[in-house]
Amino acid sequence: MTALQRWWQGLLEFLFPPETDTWLAVLRIGLGLQVAVYALFLRSDWHYLFSGTGEGLVSRELGEAIASFDSPLIPKLGWLVAFGQHVGLGEETVLSVAWACLLCMGCCLLLGVLCRPAAIIAWFLHLCAAESGGLLAYGADNFMTMALFYLMLSPLPDRYSLDRLLVETKLRDPRLLGFWRRVLQVHLCFVYFFGGMAKCLGSGWWNGSNLWRSLIRPPFNLISPDILVRFKYALPILGISICLIEVGYPVFIWMKKTRFLWLVCILAMHAAIGLTMGMYLFALVMIVLNLAAFGVGIRVPFVRHRGGGTRDSTEFFPKKQLSP
Amino acid sequence: MISKRIYAAWVGIHFFLIIAVCFAGLFSLVAEGATILPIALDTYARKAELLAAWLLGKQAAVSSPVRRSIATYLHAAGIQSGYTFFAPNIPGSHKLTLELYYQNGRVEYEAPHVSGKAAALRLDSLLDRLADNRYEPLREVVLKMLALSVWRERPDVKKIRATFGSVNLPSVSDFEHGKGESFQPMFSYDFSLRDEEKR
Repeated sequence: MTALQRWWQGLLEFLFPPETDTWLAVLRIGLGLQVAVYALFLRSDWHYLFSGTGEGLVSRELGEAIASFDSPLIPKLGWLVAFGQHVGLGEETVLSVAWACLLCMGCCLLLGVLCRPAAIIAWFLHLCAAESGGLLAYGADNFMTMALFYLMLSPLPDRYSLDRLLVETKLRDPRLLGFWRRVLQVHLCFVYFFGGMAKCLGSGWWNGSNLWRSLIRPPFNLISPDILVRFKYALPILGISICLIEVGYPVFIWMKKTRFLWLVCILAMHAAIGLTMGMYLFALVMIVLNLAAFGVGIRVPFVRHRGGGTRDSTEFFPKKQLSP
Repeated sequence: MISKRIYAAWVGIHFFLIIAVCFAGLFSLVAEGATILPIALDTYARKAELLAAWLLGKQAAVSSPVRRSIATYLHAAGIQSGYTFFAPNIPGSHKLTLELYYQNGRVEYEAPHVSGKAAALRLDSLLDRLADNRYEPLREVVLKMLALSVWRERPDVKKIRATFGSVNLPSVSDFEHGKGESFQPMFSYDFSLRDEEKR
């Protein structure tokens, strides 16, 4: 076997590790909750945010024109409104139906009913909303689209879904399950590495001023500055810790000895972002993604385990390759 | 399984695009001089950013099928923007104040508003975008729409003056010395029902 063949074989082993579908159940249930919460949070403003010119906050057509400049093939709510008009439904009715469908798909994912169609419809409707309201979108929308994209392509249904209980379906290929988990794992590594790198390049993350600014900056100022100022000496330590946790994620999350610690740190960071800055949707989607990617089957220190979980990096690369 | 090779090829293309998007975002920050890196690197970063943009088909004509296909895929997969949130530094927030001039001479102050906190976060995200030079062509149109959203609730308003500006945040030591946030106006527009006059 040539070196190239060995490398290819190693790559395939890395990309297609056998996995159970527990991680997929975590992703499905987590995203079901996320989609339902997203719809409920925007319930009172849905029409105001996505109405056409002259009725909403900012015209939906403006966001759609920006998206169409990139490509006219990007899905948008305008497509649904146009289709509604074709069958005699007004804009308001179409928007209401879209919102109700999104909430319904979230509940379907949560329960595991019609998993694949629910994932596809949820992805499509959320993408339409995110693109039509492009000017009003933020990071959580990108992560939701990404997560729903992976979910709809993954081999659903999982064993914990009602689909599996109601209809007898054969078990999915464990290597295909492993493949989609691996894609999610590698993607998260890129997310944190580039996010951490960008933070490291700003002076404010090293002296704590960025953490201070992010916590007193409207609309994230949930904690009074009077309380924050008491912890001013902790801010540089926390700022540097965030940089190190994010940059170190692609390395330490793969190592057996540090995986649990790194996962706990990253989950704590996202929980803190949610609770102290009010970015609940962003925090929830990141926690769900991390739990699905690395949390399921993780070896908790001092607890006896059966087999399973993400394998150590040394299992993919022979030890002699790692040593100098 | 269909074929491991097909899946592996898709993974290669998918992560190639993600890396290109991430590097484009990172190089853009360096090129803007927003990082702690030496200024001498700015021009190289700009070139690298253009290279990353070229890899993503952004240098092609707007109607190019390659450009459109890549853009559609990036948006569909939710990977069209990098992950440089809250980096390299945290800018000040932005605020829009609307002065409402009524027909009877009364003046009121108002800001665009939404019902829920989740939508309020999005409104703030929009205001922060408007400060960016890339959104300069849209700025007046969006501000006009935001003014119109308040106008609809008060039809007897004759004129609206929209003042957009940044909120400068105090540092820890400034705050300890009693200094609070300050508002720095950036742009001001007058909107009336009959005509729009830019100031």
